[in-house]
Amino acid sequence: MAFLELNSINTYYGRSHILFDVSLSIEKGEVVSLIGRNGAGKSTTFRSIIGLTPPQAGEVLFRGERISGLRAFRICRKGIGFVPEDRRCFPDLTVRENLEVAARREKETAVPWTVERIYALFPRLQEREKNLGSQLSGGEQQMLTIARTLMTNPEVLLLDEPSEGLAPLVVSLLADMILRIRKEGVTVLLAEQNLHFCAKVSDRGYVIDKGSVKYEGTMSDLLSNEEVKEKYLAV
Amino acid sequence: MDLSFLTVQVLSALRQAAFLFLISSGLTLIFGVLNILNFAHGALYMLGAYFMYWVTLQIVGPAGFLLALVAAPLGVAVIAAVIELGLLRRIYIQEEIYQLLLTYALVLIIDDLAKIVFGPEFKSISKPEILSGSVTLFDGTVPVYTLLVVVLAPAVAALLWYLLYRTKTGKVVRATSSDREMADALGINMSALFTLVFAFGAVLAGLGGALAGPARTVFPGVGTEVIIESFVVVVIGGLGNLWGALIGSILIGSLETIGIIVFPEFEMSLIYLLMVAVLVVRPWGLFGRPLKVKALSEKNLAMEAQEISPVHFAVHPAVRWAPLLLLLLVPLFAGRFYQYLLTQIFVASLMAIAFNLLLGMTGLLSFGQAAFFGVGAYTAGLLLTKTGLGTLSALALSPVVAAAAAGVIGFFCVRLSGVHFAMLTLAFGQLIFTVVYKWYGFTGGDNGIQGIPVNPIPLGGLGDIDIGSTQSMYYFVLAVVALSVELLRRIRSSPFGATLKSIRENGQRAAYLGLNVKLYQWTAFVVAGAFTGLAGGLYALMEKSISPEIIHWTKSAEPVLMSIIGGIYTFVGPAVGAVVYITLNSYLVAWTEKWALVLGLVLLTLVLLLPGGVVGFVNEKARQTLGKLRCIRKWSFSKSATS
Ligand SMILES: Nc1ncnc2c1ncn2[C@@H]1O[C@H](COP(=O)(O)OP(=O)(O)OP(=O)(O)O)[C@@H](O)[C@H]1O
Ligand SMILES: [Mg+2]
Repeated sequence: MAFLELNSINTYYGRSHILFDVSLSIEKGEVVSLIGRNGAGKSTTFRSIIGLTPPQAGEVLFRGERISGLRAFRICRKGIGFVPEDRRCFPDLTVRENLEVAARREKETAVPWTVERIYALFPRLQEREKNLGSQLSGGEQQMLTIARTLMTNPEVLLLDEPSEGLAPLVVSLLADMILRIRKEGVTVLLAEQNLHFCAKVSDRGYVIDKGSVKYEGTMSDLLSNEEVKEKYLAV
Repeated sequence: MDLSFLTVQVLSALRQAAFLFLISSGLTLIFGVLNILNFAHGALYMLGAYFMYWVTLQIVGPAGFLLALVAAPLGVAVIAAVIELGLLRRIYIQEEIYQLLLTYALVLIIDDLAKIVFGPEFKSISKPEILSGSVTLFDGTVPVYTLLVVVLAPAVAALLWYLLYRTKTGKVVRATSSDREMADALGINMSALFTLVFAFGAVLAGLGGALAGPARTVFPGVGTEVIIESFVVVVIGGLGNLWGALIGSILIGSLETIGIIVFPEFEMSLIYLLMVAVLVVRPWGLFGRPLKVKALSEKNLAMEAQEISPVHFAVHPAVRWAPLLLLLLVPLFAGRFYQYLLTQIFVASLMAIAFNLLLGMTGLLSFGQAAFFGVGAYTAGLLLTKTGLGTLSALALSPVVAAAAAGVIGFFCVRLSGVHFAMLTLAFGQLIFTVVYKWYGFTGGDNGIQGIPVNPIPLGGLGDIDIGSTQSMYYFVLAVVALSVELLRRIRSSPFGATLKSIRENGQRAAYLGLNVKLYQWTAFVVAGAFTGLAGGLYALMEKSISPEIIHWTKSAEPVLMSIIGGIYTFVGPAVGAVVYITLNSYLVAWTEKWALVLGLVLLTLVLLLPGGVVGFVNEKARQTLGKLRCIRKWSFSKSATS
């Protein structure tokens, strides 16, 4: 039994059928990538897991327990943290308030995330503590949305295209963060278009295109598979 | 200007601002979190005042007054929590308009219940002695009660600031106002938060009512004026923004006070003028931000699916004209009462179908259609009484003048969308209402125009047609309405109509395709205004007397109600709604005084059980039945997407 498992989920936006029998399986402690082009269905997969756009068919299991069908806040409280793609930190709240509103601790984890531990991981956020979310740079906003989700003390972190639109220097900083988060025992599912970023942080990956999984394997196999790269990832 | 005068006026403005702030802060908070513009907020204010009245009657004296000041808001909060848990909660997934409608139904219900419980008369609430006197301040005489209000409101504002900025729940409320979905994904229980905020907003409304009650009077329906004033405040300040509500209250409070001194006639017009000016310059209000465009909900898509139901298209032209034939025969067997009733229904149907060109087809909720109805009615009324113009010419000018008014108003309105569009149309409508209401020299003011002469219509060499009798008026109105409805139907199925529909479904996509979306919306607004004006002209002819009430915003709610009762995604829906509405109205008014209560309950049932309206429901059932009989192909998407 995998830690987080998607069994042939099918998801719709109104009339449009977006995900077709998507199945994923993630073990505890892994960093797994979900790679695909624009519009491939990565965000929809995440929204299905967290319950914002629940799948119409198929199921999502977390620790063997069915979570699809629960409301988003319940799924979050089960231990799944969602970091959306467009840096949706709360613009009218200060950095500290952004962290505070998310703080929750459902289980007795060994070392829970607190604002202080977050600041140790992201020193930049401490400097900007009193600034409003809307006053941060893109990179800082990305850090803040990740940090905010960590405050819910998740066991699985769903990271949607964190590297998008960031300067190369910030991207490598981000890769560092992800590895450190993993070291804290958090399982990470990472949606990306940037194959090289994925290779840096994850061991295994799924390739998604037009709403279905086309390939699954280790990152090194994927990197050397020219056919898959050509067919599903070339822009 | 001496100091005493200034002191009295400033305090009077501040007192007015204080009442406005108490009511509108709750309204704006509820809008921020729940995204609902709560029409029932005025009714909650009224309940606060009535509870105050009741408690102070039970326990006389300062202690009773103090207790009432605490108990009344809490009582209102309990009622609000029940409303949220029992009713509102069921319709969050639906379109905004159904939520608006539900809160509007609550206004009707609560107003009538108040009438039953407390009686229809005005009530005044007595103040304990220490609060009834007055003090001298800078040579001015100021009532003690005014001072209390002026001190208490800032204290409430400070408390609100503390709660929102210094407590975790307050921070969660602010977070949710800016991104509800994100808050949900971060583990915040939206349902619990919604109940809390709705009840808390009600506490503020109740406190406003409890405090204002002793200074003003209480009567059933007092909420309808209060709610509009608070809409003005929150829209000017920026929907969902607490500081906006504060500044808006001070602005409106001052403007009302200055208005009474400088332009006593047009004091209320000033407020709507300010609202129009603010929305034209800053569409989202002084402190507001553009609202996010909401993605179409599943429910919404399912309802739109009804529109393309084959049953709807299968209507044969012969079937379409059959009702007309039937209506032509009605006067042969029905008496004058029924002829008059049907004539009313024709006029209302025209107004509703024209309105639905905006709501159902273009996706624009206009809350100011009564203005065009009124402009049409007054055009015909004034021309017939003040000039020698013939009946037909006067009637023909009604839609022209109404279209011109719609052209100007629409120019500003179509730049906005959603709830802001609704509020700007409301502001223009009320602006016209207040002017007509007070302009004695031209419109007759609140007396209106009586005894409009309706001369026979000359038919060239063939003599005249007298349309004075109920029966001839019946045929005349039927003919005009039938022609207009046929015209509207053709507009709907024309390429222009198809474009409007595509704009409603996806305005952005339409814009990408190079369509001038605003121009299309403006044209729809003008066409709807013209036909509404024609309906107004017909109304003036059939009633032979008109008064400003026909322009009041509650009249603008009627086509909205009719369209939703019948179903907004069908062409005949609004007419069916008009039949239901007018029939209910005239029978219930004869049978019971509680007509508003019954209408409110009907609306409530409808919103909760038949959100597609009567016609939508019938269509859906017919589709299901025919589908079972395999007469028509099943729509695969609606099955797979909703099962
Ligand atoms: N709210 C929505 N309503 C209708 N269709 C949508 C909606 N959101 C996304 N889609 C469609 O669903 C498909 C998958 O979108 P999704 O956002 O999951 O892709 P993605 O892989 O995350 O792409 P990107 O890299 O651009 O973020 C796309 O074709 C998109 O157009
Ligand atoms: Mg995406």
